[in-house]
Amino acid sequence: MSDVVFEIKDLYAFYDEHAALQSINLKIWEKRITAIMGPSGCGKSTLLRCLNRLNDLIPGFSLKGQILFRGQDIYQIKDLTEYRRRVTMVFQKPNPFPMSIFDNVAYGLRIHGITKKSILKDKVEQALRMAALWDEVKDKLKKPAVQLSGGQQQRLCIARALAVEPEVLLLDEPTSALDPIATTKIERLLEELAQQYTVVIVTHSMGQALRISDEVVFLYEGRLIEYGETSTIAKTPKHEVTKQFLTGKIG
Amino acid sequence: MRWTLRIISYGVFVVMLFVLVSIVVSGVPYFFRPGFFTAWPQRAMSEGGIFPMLIGSLMLMSLVFAISVPVGLIGTIFLSELAPRRISMFLKSLAGTMNSVPSIVYGVFGLAFFSVKLGFGTSLLSASLALSTMSIPFFMNSAVEFLRAVPKELREGVISLGANKLQATLMVLRASKNGILTSLMLTLGRAFSETAPILVTGAVFYSTKLPGKLTDPVMTLPTSIYAIVMNLGERSQWMAKAMASLMVLIMIAVYSLVQITRRNKRE
Repeated sequence: MSDVVFEIKDLYAFYDEHAALQSINLKIWEKRITAIMGPSGCGKSTLLRCLNRLNDLIPGFSLKGQILFRGQDIYQIKDLTEYRRRVTMVFQKPNPFPMSIFDNVAYGLRIHGITKKSILKDKVEQALRMAALWDEVKDKLKKPAVQLSGGQQQRLCIARALAVEPEVLLLDEPTSALDPIATTKIERLLEELAQQYTVVIVTHSMGQALRISDEVVFLYEGRLIEYGETSTIAKTPKHEVTKQFLTGKIG
Repeated sequence: MRWTLRIISYGVFVVMLFVLVSIVVSGVPYFFRPGFFTAWPQRAMSEGGIFPMLIGSLMLMSLVFAISVPVGLIGTIFLSELAPRRISMFLKSLAGTMNSVPSIVYGVFGLAFFSVKLGFGTSLLSASLALSTMSIPFFMNSAVEFLRAVPKELREGVISLGANKLQATLMVLRASKNGILTSLMLTLGRAFSETAPILVTGAVFYSTKLPGKLTDPVMTLPTSIYAIVMNLGERSQWMAKAMASLMVLIMIAVYSLVQITRRNKRE
């Protein structure tokens, strides 16, 4: 068994009075792909965003319980800059910055104080290679990133998140805005990345979770209803909602 | 029915086009008089050129630019990125209200506050402050929409990499820079053509010299048109026509530039 990266203890999350997550207890293991599943509005994005503390930006958000990252309570961290370098995020809609392809990938490096040209160049190339985008963009690094296709933009966002050499990659339905071919590319990529990184992915596609994840977490109406190894749950689901998900009745 | 509508809408366009074209055409021939752009007006504005009005308007615009851009931009960022929602909504409607205040009211306010109370007198400074008082809410009202149109994923993307609020704000500005530029041009265009706020705060009908310091009065294009039309005889009217024509041409240029900026953004 590998190490625990995240340990979530009795977590409640609120938007004003509304409890989006209730009593979540969960462990996320190193160098595995953990898929968070459930119908719309079940709190899966909220859970993912808690791991990067992105919900701090939302007025009215509050939280009870603990999220430990390698034993440290992340909601006690004062300076999030370094923490967010270690745990980066990719969003549902590709969000390339309004700058060149190169500068997009270099952005995270620059805010973490790396400014030397030669180092930037190496790291940008390395990140783009890891995101399987290098061959497609190596001749147009100076071009605006918005000119790329949707799938390329999403891989660029993955490259941008990888460039800062994180330990965990969080992905919030990264393929829901993409066509099937681009989706397949990203799924293959994630499987490769899981050899080096801990990957947590929110998805509403049962197929995607079965194809790529090692562990799966089912959320329903803000509660965790089942979690464990994907292969085990696929064969012997314990909970009625999970069964319905697997047979395609919901989801 | 369809034809009636067509005729009405074409009619409206024809009228608008007629107004613009006749203003421009009536003034353009005078541009070629010797010294029109470089000489001072003479003999009660019946001879000479518009040099001091042109320079005066430019000086005024530079000052309005220098005052409105930093203040307006900071205000816009505060409205869109920093202020709590309720305060932001309150300030936004305040700026909206200020936009519909008649411009002569800004003139009277400027006269009472900048000229008299603060003792700046009838001066370039009072006029530019009065114009800026009007321009800043106009700029904020328009620019804030462009900042708000930036998708929240962009802000979150920057923050999620470990950036701070300032870095996220810079990214938002970067993403909306064409929009901000558009707002800026529209604001300066409006300030350039406003007459009332400067009429009572800084503009004079005639001055023998260009303003050498901020407390000197200034001659400008729109106020000189007003002065000629109201006070002078037939022999001076050509100068008002020429200045009106020049101003319309400048405004057409500003709006074309705005269109080009917008088109670039779409691509």
